[in-house]
Amino acid sequence: MDHKALALEMRGLREQVTGITDTAVAAADGLLIAADTADSIDPEGLAALAAAGLGLARRTAEATARGTLRRTVTYGSHGCAAFYAVGDTALMVVLGDEGLDVDHLHRATQPALRRIDSILTDKAPEKASEGV
Amino acid sequence: MSGYAILAPALAECGRDEFSGELRVAGTPGGIFHLRDGRVVAVESPGAPGPEALLLRSGRVSGEQWAELVRESGGSRWPATALIAHGYAGSAQLRVVCMMALHDAAFAIAAGRVDGCERVAPAEPFAQVALGETVARLLQDTARRLAALALLPHPVHPDRERPVPVPVARDGRLTVLQHELLAHADGRRTARDLAFRIGRGVYTVTVEVARMLGDGLLVCAEPPAPIPVRALPEGHRLQQRTPPPPEPAPPPTRTALPRRKPGSFFRLRNGIPK
Repeated sequence: MDHKALALEMRGLREQVTGITDTAVAAADGLLIAADTADSIDPEGLAALAAAGLGLARRTAEATARGTLRRTVTYGSHGCAAFYAVGDTALMVVLGDEGLDVDHLHRATQPALRRIDSILTDKAPEKASEGV
Repeated sequence: MSGYAILAPALAECGRDEFSGELRVAGTPGGIFHLRDGRVVAVESPGAPGPEALLLRSGRVSGEQWAELVRESGGSRWPATALIAHGYAGSAQLRVVCMMALHDAAFAIAAGRVDGCERVAPAEPFAQVALGETVARLLQDTARRLAALALLPHPVHPDRERPVPVPVARDGRLTVLQHELLAHADGRRTARDLAFRIGRGVYTVTVEVARMLGDGLLVCAEPPAPIPVRALPEGHRLQQRTPPPPEPAPPPTRTALPRRKPGSFFRLRNGIPK
């Protein structure tokens, strides 16, 4: 996995979409891989919540014949938390404040999710942990 | 160059045409000007906190109270009447908050990148102020703000600098706003992010951040801290999600396959009883 490329994607998304405050990438089972989060956020707990939230949403979509799950978004009075599946193996969390344009976020994340999926499933040998 | 040069002619034309509808501004942060008969009655932008965020972040209204007000107003995006009826704000006060937010959002859009403007005419424009602001006055005020910001010794862009406090002993003469900014400037937040976090106008916060940079209270954190990426533990490989258990097959029922009889194909296809 190219750690630098993953960090670049995460930072790029935050700079591209106005209102993103934090991002994190985790394995589908909730094990944290990378977190670009403020000190007030517990990234390990967030990754676990996202894995559970996506699992519940996926089962809901299946039980109600809503087709393939696209994403889950939790809206609060101070912003939102969006969980996306990254391929079949991982997930991404995006937190935003009240100003975040969620439709714009969904459009901007699609190419990023595809690239992050390729980075994560890259069979190249692991490099030393580094960031951007 | 800021987006003002592209925005100003498009908005001025809406004013001259006495346009009613939306002027959608593509760009970063971009936004929407809502106009009625050529006057601006609301401006929304991801770059500036709207009246709702200002009221909620300032603590004047709680999240639960806001949800109740929206329910009471039949799902309205802007429950102004209910806000006044419940005493959360006076009508004049609310008008001031809305007008400040309108000017602030116009500033945020003009200070950012503008890729283009497009008019859309919905059935009823979204309005946060009844009478609205003239396009000429709004553009004049926006231009004044952009010029004032550019003249500061440490000009700051609402979406660029991510300051951190300077760790020095400070005297007790800091304003409330300065205290708030020092508490929330963490090297990740821009002036725009700080404005949302503390529920203040983005112009006010941008100017104050510029002054605090000049006074040595804040400093720009460069480069940003690296994002830690963890190698997966030994033996842990990214695995496909476990598919849900397959649905139990329905109990088999004995059904005799229909036998083909001479001349029966027509009846099977067309359902004509024997």
